[in-house]
This record gives sequence, C-alpha cells and structure tokens, in this order.
Amino acid sequence: MSASFLRMAFLVSLGLCALGLLWRVSAWLRVRIGSDARDIRFHQRLFAAVGGTFAALFSRRIFGLVKAKVLDVLLQRRLFNGCWLRWLGHLLIVYGFLLLLVMHALGRLVTAKLYPDYASTHDPWLLLRNVFGAAVVLGIVMVAAGRRFRPTSTPRPRRLGDKVFAALLAVVLVSGFLLEATKVASPKAFYRMANEYIGSTDPEELLPLRLAWATDFGVAFPDLQGTPDPDKLAEGRELHHDACASCHSPPGSSAFVSYPISRALAPIAEPLDGVDADTWLLYLHLAACFLGLILLPFTRFIHVLADPVSLLANGAASSGPLSPAGRANRRALAIDACVDCRLCDDRCSVAPIARSLGNPALLPSHKLLATHAVATNPRWLDRQAGHARRIAEGAVLCTTCGRCTDRCPVGIDLADLWVAGRADLARAGQPSPAQWVRERSALDWDEALAARGAVQDPIGPLSSNRETYSACVQCQTCTNVCPVVAHGGEEPGPVDLTPQKVMNLLRLGMVDLAIGSSMVWDCATCYQCQEHCPEGIRVTDVMLELRELGYRRLGDTRERRQPE
Amino acid sequence: MKFALFLGCKIPASVPAYELSTRAVLARLGVTLVDLPFNCCGYPVRSLDREAFVFAAARNLALAGAAGLDVLTPCKCCFGNLRHAQRFLDEDPALRQRVGAALAEEGLALPAGVAVEHLLPVLARTVGLDAIAAAVTAPRTGLRVAAHYGCHALRPSDVTRFDHPLAPTIFEDLVRVTGATPVEWPRRLDCCGEPVHDANPSLSDRLTQAKVDDARESGAEVLATACPYCQMRFTEFQAAGSAAPLPVLLYPQLLGQALGLAPRTLGLS
Amino acid sequence: MTQTQTKTWDVAVVGAGMAGMAASLFAAERGLSCIQIGNGGGLLFASGLLDLLAVHPVAARRVWDNPFEALAMIRRDQPDHPLARVDDASMRAAFQSFTSALGDAGMPFAPLGDRNASVLTSLGTPKPTYGVPRTMAAGVDALAGRPPCLLLDFRGLREFSARQIVATIGDTWPGLRMARVEFPGAEATSELYAAHMAVALESGEFRERTLARVRPLLGDARVVGFPAVLGLARSAVVHAAFEEGLGVPVFEIPTMPTSVPGLRLNAALEQAVVTRGVHRMLRVDVASTSFDETAVLTLDGVPGGQRVSARTVVLATGRFSGRGLSAGQQGVTETLLGLPVQQPASRDAWHSRDFLDPAGHAINRAGLATDDDFRPLDATGRPAWPGLYAVGSILAGQDWMREKCGSGLALGTARVAVDRIARQLRAPSGVGEAG
Repeated sequence: MSASFLRMAFLVSLGLCALGLLWRVSAWLRVRIGSDARDIRFHQRLFAAVGGTFAALFSRRIFGLVKAKVLDVLLQRRLFNGCWLRWLGHLLIVYGFLLLLVMHALGRLVTAKLYPDYASTHDPWLLLRNVFGAAVVLGIVMVAAGRRFRPTSTPRPRRLGDKVFAALLAVVLVSGFLLEATKVASPKAFYRMANEYIGSTDPEELLPLRLAWATDFGVAFPDLQGTPDPDKLAEGRELHHDACASCHSPPGSSAFVSYPISRALAPIAEPLDGVDADTWLLYLHLAACFLGLILLPFTRFIHVLADPVSLLANGAASSGPLSPAGRANRRALAIDACVDCRLCDDRCSVAPIARSLGNPALLPSHKLLATHAVATNPRWLDRQAGHARRIAEGAVLCTTCGRCTDRCPVGIDLADLWVAGRADLARAGQPSPAQWVRERSALDWDEALAARGAVQDPIGPLSSNRETYSACVQCQTCTNVCPVVAHGGEEPGPVDLTPQKVMNLLRLGMVDLAIGSSMVWDCATCYQCQEHCPEGIRVTDVMLELRELGYRRLGDTRERRQPE
Repeated sequence: MKFALFLGCKIPASVPAYELSTRAVLARLGVTLVDLPFNCCGYPVRSLDREAFVFAAARNLALAGAAGLDVLTPCKCCFGNLRHAQRFLDEDPALRQRVGAALAEEGLALPAGVAVEHLLPVLARTVGLDAIAAAVTAPRTGLRVAAHYGCHALRPSDVTRFDHPLAPTIFEDLVRVTGATPVEWPRRLDCCGEPVHDANPSLSDRLTQAKVDDARESGAEVLATACPYCQMRFTEFQAAGSAAPLPVLLYPQLLGQALGLAPRTLGLS
Repeated sequence: MTQTQTKTWDVAVVGAGMAGMAASLFAAERGLSCIQIGNGGGLLFASGLLDLLAVHPVAARRVWDNPFEALAMIRRDQPDHPLARVDDASMRAAFQSFTSALGDAGMPFAPLGDRNASVLTSLGTPKPTYGVPRTMAAGVDALAGRPPCLLLDFRGLREFSARQIVATIGDTWPGLRMARVEFPGAEATSELYAAHMAVALESGEFRERTLARVRPLLGDARVVGFPAVLGLARSAVVHAAFEEGLGVPVFEIPTMPTSVPGLRLNAALEQAVVTRGVHRMLRVDVASTSFDETAVLTLDGVPGGQRVSARTVVLATGRFSGRGLSAGQQGVTETLLGLPVQQPASRDAWHSRDFLDPAGHAINRAGLATDDDFRPLDATGRPAWPGLYAVGSILAGQDWMREKCGSGLALGTARVAVDRIARQLRAPSGVGEAG
C-alpha cells in the first residue's frame, strides 16, 4: 500500500468524519426542547451558535470561557469534584490518547516540524509513545472497573456503534503495541533498514551489527543463539552508534510495554516475519484508526466534541444568561454531551423518593433521555405504554434543587432542561389531578368512578378509620377558617365542597365524591382547619390522604376516557 | 450549640441569600453548623405516596442521628414535613418497621431521638433573645416590619410545637430584638398562597394579594419571612404586579443588618 | 421546655373553656405563676354574650332583670348550687376583670351594671344576658327603645335572615325593616361564610365598598343591625368605622355557632392569657396525675414526655362535650381523676320523659360536689386533695343552659377558687401545702 493511498484513505475518513460531525452538530441546532424553543427558527439557532461564539470572545464572557477552557475542559475540574478516581482514569485516557494522536499519529505533521530530528524509534518518542499508550490502557481499565462496581443500572443501553467503536479503540491500542513489538523482534525489518541505511543485506557482513541488535534491541535472529562473541558485539555496537543510534533508542528501557511483548513473541518472530505480520498489523492499526474516525460521529464518543462545547457554553453562561436560541442549542446538545456517568443521580435530592416509589424516571439520567426522546419523537410517549405516568411523575417531582446541574462534569444545564421539558413529559402522564380535576364536577367524577366498578374504600390510615371523623358535628369551624373557601376556588366563587362537607361525605362512605371535588386539590395545606377543629379531627391530613387515593383512582379513570 | 443544617431543595438553587444570611448570622451568634449529605425532605410526595415521603424524611433523620446531631432548618415547609414524618413514624409501628428495613439496606438506622428545629425557635430559645440583643450593634430603629408567620411551622401546633398557634409572639419578639418595630396585622397567620400555586394560580394570587394589602394597610414598610417558599411567593407575586412592591426580607437578613454584618454576606446588594 | 420540667407552678389549670380561661386570667392577675393545659374548642361555639344568671327557678321559667337578685334567690333556694358559693363582690370583680382582659385583647364589652340586657338573636327572639360585646350594645338599646331600625343581611350568608327576624318581631316593632345587600366580590357566589366576611371587612378598602352599598338603603333608620361579621381580630375598629361611615349607631346580631364572636372570643382569650404570662400548653392531654406534696401531672403528646409540678390544680374540664365527664352504662364518671360524681341513682332517672320538660333533666345537674371553697369531694365527703379545685360546668347542682348562667358559673366559681388558692398559697401553713 502506497503512502498516497494511505493519505487518500486518511482524507476520505476525515472527510466522512467531518460530514458525520456536521450532521450531528446540525441536530444541536434543530432539536427543539421546551415551549420557548418552538418558535425559534433554524437560522436564529445557527446565528446564536456561530455569531454568539464570536460575540462571546469579544465580550466579558471571555473570562468565563477561558476559565471553563482551562479548568473544566483541560483540567476537568468538575469531574474531579465528582469523583477523583474517575477523574484520574478519564484524564489518563484523554491525555494519553490526545498525546498519542498529536505526537505519534500526526508525528510527521506536528512533531517533526517542532523537532526536526524526530524519529519514532528514538527516545523520548519511543518512551512517550509507550507511556501514552499505557496511560490509555490504564485509564480504560480504571473506567471499566469503575462501571463494574457501580450498582445502578444504566438507562441508556449501549448501541452497536458504541461497542464497535470501543472495539476499534482496543484494536488500535493492541495493534499498536503488537506492531511495535513485532517490529522490534522482526529480522525482516532489520534487513529492510540495513538495506536502506547501510546498503547491505548479507547476514555475514552484518553479523556484528546483528549481534548488537540481537542483544540490545531484541531482534530475534533465529541463527544467533547463545552468548555473542564480545569483540564482534563491540564492533557491532560501534557500527550501530555510527549508523543507527541517531534514530534508534534501545527499547528495553523505553518500550516498557512493547518490549516485553516482543520478548514473548521472539520464539515466533520468524513465522511472523514469514507472513509479514508487521505490515498487516500496520494496516490493521491504520484501518482501525480510519474506521474509528468515520464511526466517531455516530457513536457516544461524539462527546469528545460535545463535551468541550458544553463546558464552554457553561462557562459563557456563567457570565450572563444565554439568548433563548443559545439556550435551545445548549439543550439540544445535552444528549450528545452526556456520557452516562450518573454523577447527577448520585447527587439527586429525590433519589430516595425514586427508590421508594420504584420509579427511576425521577433520576436525572433517565429524565435527560426522556426529555430528548419526547422532543425528537412526538410518538415516543405514546409508545411508552403504561410508563407515561411514571415518566410524568419523574418530571413533576423534581424539586429543581440544582444539585445535578452543579455536579454534571460536562456542564449540561440540567435544571434548564427539566424546566423546559417538564410540560412535554407531564403531558401524557397527567400526574396531578390538581391540574385537570376541574374538567368535570365532583358528581361527574363520582359517576365515572362508579362506572368503573366497586367503590374504593379510603386507603390512608386516618381516612380509613371511622374514629377519625366520627366526632364531626358539622360545626363548620373548618370551613370558616379555610382560606380556599374564603378566596373561592378557581374563579371568585365557591369551592364545590367545603371542608366540613368533605368530612361528612367520608362519614357517609361517599369517598369517590370527595376525591373528585376541587376542594381536595385546591387545599393549601395551611392546617387552619386541623388547628381549630373543636373535636381534634385531622382535617388536612385527611385531605392529603384523599389526594393520594385520588392520584390512583382519578388518573386511571381519566386515561380510559381519553379519546386519543 | 451545634446542629446539622438542613437546607432542603429550594434554598440553594432559588433563594441562596437565605443560606448565606443564615450561616452568617448563626456563626456570629456562636452556633456551629454541620453539613451532611441530606436529601429532599419528601414534601413533593407528601400527598402522592405516604411511604415514599416518610422514607425520604426518615433518611435525613437517620443521617443526623448517625452524626449525633439535631436538625436545624431555615425552611418552614421542610420543618413541618420532617416533624410530620416523625409523627407518622411514632403512630404507625408497621410503617416504622418498613422504613427502618429500607434504611438498613443503605446501612442507616432510624434514630432514637433527633430533634427537628426551625431557625426562629433556635434563635429565640436556644440562642436566646437576650444573647441576640447583646450582640446587636446597629438596631433597625423605626423600621416597621410585618412578621409573616405562614403556616407549616405554626400549624398543626401539636406536631410543630413552634409557638401558640392563635397568639404566637416568637417572630415579633425576634423582630423587636433587632430594634425594628413589629406591626399588628390581622392576616399575619394566613397562608402566603405558595402551596396552591401550581394547582390554582389565581387562587394563590388572591391569597398573596390579601396578605400584601393587609401588611401595607397596617403600616408595614417591610415584610419579613422565614421560609424560602414564602419569600419566593411574595417576591415573585409583586414582581409580576404593577404597584410599588413592599420589600420582602428574610429574617436573618434583618437580624444580620442589626448585628452589623456586611450586606454582601447576607445576600443583600 | 426545661422551664416546665424543673419549676413548680403555683397553679395548673386543666381545661381551656370559659372557666379554665377565667381561672388562668385571675391567677395571673394575682401574680401567681400559672400553667394552663388543654385545648380550646367549646369556646368557638360561644355567642359572644356572657350570661351571668337569668332564669330561676327553671321549672317556672322566671326571667330576672337583676341577676344579683336572682343570685340571692339561688342562695336561699339552692344552697348547694355552685353559684350560691359565689358572693356578689366576687362575681362583679370576675366579670369586670374578664371583660377588661377581653377589651385589651381586642374584644371590648359594654359597661356592666346591675341589670341583665335583652339581646335580639338571629331568630328574632330576645335573649337575656349580662355581658354584651360593645359591637352588639346598640342592639340592646334598640330592642328596648324600638326606634326606626334597618336590619341588613347578605345574600349568600345562609345562616342569617333579616327577613326572618322582621317576621318574628316586626309586629311589636313598627319601625323595623330589612334590606338585602350584595357582599362585594361575592357576586358569583351562592354561599358565604361569616368568618371570611369578617376578615374581609378588616380591609379599609373593602369596608368602603360595603358601606357604599348600605348607605342608599338607610332611609330614616336611626340604628342599623348587621349579622355578626364586623371584623375578626379588629372588631372594634371595624365597628367604629361602620358607625362613622353610616352616621348612626350600628349593632351586631349574634349568629349561630360557629359564629364570628365565638372565634373572636377564643382568639382573644388565648391572646389574653399569653399576654398575662400564663404558660399555655395546647394539644396535650394529661395522661396521669399524682398528688403528694405537690401535684404532678404527666402530659401526653409532648415529645419525650413531660411532667408538670404544681402546688394547686384547677380542674376546669367541662362536661360531656368537653370530656370532663363521661356517661357510660354504669353511670357518669369524671374522666381525669376519677372523682366521685354526684348523679341520679340510676340511669332511668337521668332524663324526664318529656324532652322539653321545663324543669330540665336530672342528668344535667350531675357533676362534682365541692366544699365552699370549690374543692371537689372524695367518697368520704372531704376535699380530695387540699390543693385541688374544680370550677365551671363540671360542678354539680347547676343547669347552666336553662338557668342562662354559663359565664356566671364559669367566671364566678373560677374567681372564688383562685381567691382561695391565693389565700392558701400565702398561708405559711394550714390547710394547703404551700411550697
């Protein structure tokens, strides 16, 4: 394979990668999350992204940007605050890989320009390549082990593309070390180099050099066994010093990964040579790189672009709120920036509630997926069959405490996402009858519930115990001190059932009529009624229990009646 | 005097000045605050699922108990909620057992006796009005303050034991000790309207309007709150209106000024 | 709450009805340290009127203009009646002090004298009483003098009908007429509640709107009557504003329970006792008691438990609805201390066959028998404990509803009991164990 073919392959891969990135980035400008994003046109979003970035550079936002760049992108401070172990593993991968990319993959373009005597087989490049490669491997091991130990299940399944990319990454690393290892041990490679730089391939003539290279560089010449002749060795070393040393450092100390591998491979060096293993490994290595490049935009690893963008946007936003279009962009890019680290879930204030309810849809990692899904696919909620309510519950029960946002290592404005996406997520799930109970009168609800079958008994410990309200003498004190009755329901006007009427209905066993009343849902929980009741009836606590019953009963009834 | 500080969900994100001023004032008065990894008090699911609500609240109590501390919260809703959870746990042994088992899965245990206190009683009774008065260096003389009690700390009094539910004096006492003048206003014990804001915004507005009008008519120059929800309600409601707003202050901001603390440390501009 | 755990109170009052509140107020007035335990509740049902004594004998339904003359008759006819143990001076002082405390707490009363007043009720019937809230005082004069009078009611306030009153009493009051007013802001409402109206009227702007609707209806009326909705915490202010706004005397007519004056009374008394330094404990029950050198009350409902130590105890726990007494199959018991209850020999004798028997029912006169100092007696007929006193409706020998002596009973007995307590505690030694 010629250099020009390889160059072409590289350019094609890069081009395809760029197209892929463009496509993904366009989604950041297209996806509309939140009602305030609906009326923003594409060109406004584009302008906000491009123009906004330029404007930011020439405004006071620059300080936020620089700070974000240094602290969050380069030093990954936010991740460090989340978990220093994860930070370490990730930093090893990121910098290991970046440096391999710059120093080694782009060696000829970058390193050689900076250091004219760059030779990949020479220290410090040889050492560094091993160091960086080892760093990436170590980082991957740490990250993989970390995932093993985290108990929570991921809401986002790994897609095929992600697995393939990860495999390709592994191939790049493994093939890289193997390539170096085989090359180290390969007699064929030696002869190639000897031919080019000394002009000979005669084994006898090159014996001293071969001895030096066998001893110091681990080339596995099959015919050189046993202890070498010290004079010949010395001669060889001198020759090496003149002809080779300027480009070659002994791998024994530097190539601390490849060299042991090459030693292990030494026994089969000749057969490997026979099949041109090093060449095939090189092709494999390059092919994996190119394929990975093409695949990158279509996998989760787009986060290598999305995360810095997200963090910089976060930095810019720290100086002042972004424009609506900018906010919309930021929301749309969240799904690609999220790497499913779930540090947000660890900090979530309502995680214990999620656990108790058995509803992981409350957790930020799940909400992020749901928010994005419902914005990109209008039918998504409908297809959630039965989960719509749980998803809605998840959206509504968020207290917007902001802890997830503070923690997110990639700077996603989660709080903004929750606020923007809440209405959409809650739409199909109708978690709170408080919003829609007024569609019908209490009598209508009672009829609807009766049509469903047997009357439900009250469920809470207070409302299901007759003793709670049997002492009610309908004195109307609760009604007289109730601010909801005083200020009157939805319009200025009466609530349909006053508190003492609700108590009376309970006494009569007419629970369904009570839970469909607007009083139960408008109750301000101010506890005036409970405080004043001469019989010590826990009126407010009963109201809250009726709500709990209402969530279950009314929601089901309404869902069945939905025409859509 | 040492407490585990329970901020709840609203204060850090929405009313950060309350955290700032509370810490500043309590530090000045010699109260040590400890931060524990608390979670939400359970208020959002109070009427959705009793078990989840009590579990969430109990987890906080367990954390405090493990640290050997009582809980101090500046939020009246969290205060009332945690106290209600304690009551439910006391009344319902089966619930107590289930919650205890769920906590045990995380290595936590229901504590024997963790006291949940609100900021105002801690200031008035634990620190003491005399100690506060002695620390006042810049009395707010002449400032007429309407002290807003709100609901969830005051009622139901058998759960909250905050003060006398019909004739409370604690907030006026605390206002007086800053040198300011508390006004008498008939609606001082009424609800601010926040809890019903989502379900019925127009009702909520009417409740809030009545409070603000009453405070103004009673000659108040400032409305004092001691709960992030009440603070948010009064502030946002008036911001949406056209009349000149009645300033709304969090009590530790008022006290902090009287103690001579820098406005910046109280979240004031 | 360490204060109550280490301190020994001079007086522990159990009960927060009229008698309990009065006892606390009087004790505080005397400089005695006082703790009061119990929930308000019954007070909410009060009409706001303070009945001293109006009917005696009950069977004859004889109504008295001068309650003190009636008291003298009771002393003569029923020496075991609790009121027979209350002298006139104590009774006057009790009412004076009580109404003064209420006045300080925002519910002033008309000046007290020697006569009962006749108050127009919402049914249109006259009711004899002694202490009249100032907001209702002009109504007493109006009922007596019968000048041209306008009675107003509000559409939606279903419990009160001015038309009903005019229908009942109109033929003896030619100048009486009624008009119906639309309460501002209630145009879309079909149901109004008195307390909400009262609170709304505390806003000056709201008052103005209401007065604007009333003024055109005045005509030649020289006095105007309203249902009792003129303010809750600031009834004096609202009442004065109405009088000024209409230019004629204005009076409130007491309404059915739960009425605004009842809410006022409850709040005002709670405020009054707190202001006077009574340590008020609501929403706790007394779980158990022990009597030795001092009385120790163990309280239920306070986290961690609590014990109160007191030198004297005033039992003001009321009758059946207040749960001071309990009626069971075997008889009536006193619920807190198990004191013997004076009662009819058998259940058959509890009630008369005639539900509306003018003489009332024997069960209503059941209760605790006491000595002249209002100390309840044990089975041997001696005071159960030297420092234990019982006041109010729990006492035997009275029928306060028919005698129209509810407040007289509560305030009078409380006054005397507290006087005895003060004397007992100041005595270096003697009948009581002074601490």
